[in-house]
Amino acid sequence: MDVTFGRPGMDGPKGSIAGTSVDLPMPTVGPPSDGHAQHHAATATPDPLRFDLDWDRRWSLWVFNVGLACCAVEFVASAMSREDFERLGATPFAPGPRRADVMVVSGTVTDKMAPAVRRLYEQMPDPRYVISFGSCSNSGGPYWDSYSVTKGVDQLVPVDVYVPGCPPRPEALLHGLVKLQQKIAAESRAGRDRGETP
Amino acid sequence: MNAPGTPPAVDPDWLDHVVREVRATTGVEVCVEEESFSGPGGGLERGGVGPPTLDVPADRWVDVIAALAHDLGYRYFDWLSAVDELDQGFAVVCHVAKLGTESPEAQPLRHLLVRTRVPREAPVLRSVTGIYAGAAWHERETHEMFGIDFAGHPNLAPLLLPEEFEGHPLRKDFVLAARAAKPWPGAKEPGESDESGPAARRGRRGSRRRRLAPPGVPAPDEWGPRPPDRGGDDG
Amino acid sequence: MAEVSRDPDVKPELPARSRGVIALFEENCTVCMLCARECPCWCIYIDSHQETRQAEEPGARERRQVVLDRFAIDYSLCMYCGICIEVCPFDALFWSPEFEYAVTDLTELTQERQTLGEWMATVPEPPRLDPAAGDGHA
Repeated sequence: MDVTFGRPGMDGPKGSIAGTSVDLPMPTVGPPSDGHAQHHAATATPDPLRFDLDWDRRWSLWVFNVGLACCAVEFVASAMSREDFERLGATPFAPGPRRADVMVVSGTVTDKMAPAVRRLYEQMPDPRYVISFGSCSNSGGPYWDSYSVTKGVDQLVPVDVYVPGCPPRPEALLHGLVKLQQKIAAESRAGRDRGETP
Repeated sequence: MNAPGTPPAVDPDWLDHVVREVRATTGVEVCVEEESFSGPGGGLERGGVGPPTLDVPADRWVDVIAALAHDLGYRYFDWLSAVDELDQGFAVVCHVAKLGTESPEAQPLRHLLVRTRVPREAPVLRSVTGIYAGAAWHERETHEMFGIDFAGHPNLAPLLLPEEFEGHPLRKDFVLAARAAKPWPGAKEPGESDESGPAARRGRRGSRRRRLAPPGVPAPDEWGPRPPDRGGDDG
Repeated sequence: MAEVSRDPDVKPELPARSRGVIALFEENCTVCMLCARECPCWCIYIDSHQETRQAEEPGARERRQVVLDRFAIDYSLCMYCGICIEVCPFDALFWSPEFEYAVTDLTELTQERQTLGEWMATVPEPPRLDPAAGDGHA
């Protein structure tokens, strides 16, 4: 069955069947394959479009650095021209969490700073990912016994990739970003569309 | 001027001058402690590279600092902090400097540590914010970290710690909970992990060899909700 | 002269004595526990047991030997200070420049002795002595 979508306001119901012609050609998509029929019941995103969106999500990550301590300098080094992570498709220095896909927490998260880090994460729109960069944000690191340090940013936000090091090399962040891209490629599309976020 | 590489000798005259002037202005007899360093002969030599320390009785703290600041020209306030010296109370230390001049007569930078002691059970000291306004934040931090009350401070609220924080963290008896909660990996003896082996059996009987303990971790029956250690515990 | 790094396609050329991970040469380890005791992050976990070996010659006494069961380093806590490597009296720990071991699950950052042993293959040769250093002998 051929389904074409009309522009809003055109004659005929939106998404009408039986091939109503429209002035501007809209993307024509095929019917959903049988195996995923029940997943697609909740949303109208057809399969090839979702594939496009997943592709763009992986290869066009906007990175927002929560630079708290020394690891922030290594992050900046990996964003600059020598170990440039922009060639992986990730754009550094997103202008704020509201326009970012990935939050990189680099540095020691203190108990006083913890609510701010949580708030930054909550300001990020879906889909969002978090990379924990360096020992301090992985688990408290050398300050694991301090009276004022949160022992790992995963106590505040869900973390997708942990990059070890104190500080990690800039090339290690490249590896961490590649790992995140692999994780995005492998994640369940149905889960994403149902609004299941980690 | 000294040759490069040699530590600058403390010129005894300027220090004596300071002590004399303080005595003349306030009547306080300060004790001088000069930092010492290892000399080429292997012994300790006086006149190290650090600033000398003037020890002041606690009730004359503000008087001496006022004399240094107003009469002797030590107008640069660097920092104020404290040291927990256990039975001897808290030592409150203040670093002040007299900036040098380039010309017409070149005068080098002179700096001093001024130190006093307050007892542990009643740690109160007068605030120096009337002399150095910049000491306000230093005294707030010292107050929240050590619990020392600075009388006359305009706003002795906590500065760095989060609001719900209880206790004074830089006191030596403040226990770091993470070190008490996590079992020390070095507590095991070689060969101890086999429960039935001779090393573990020795551990359970109470070995002659003293069990090592990491620094800063109190005995389990002194602090914390854990059950007392019975030996041979699993790490 | 600065060059654009070609990592991740080409491995970067890392300077000598680069600190990436700590590799374990198990053959040399006598389970003295010095590294676990000196580690400031408490991130080295060692388990061992004692074995008794029968005497090989008549009249000789039996030998007791400590056998390593578990040697793990938790790289989420490690601060790469190198104290464990410096204190090991038997040269069982080495620096390796390996840095590509990011994970998605934090527990995977605790590397067991097998991985630590595999990393020995990445430990470079010690760098040549600088002829300008020392007392003039090259």
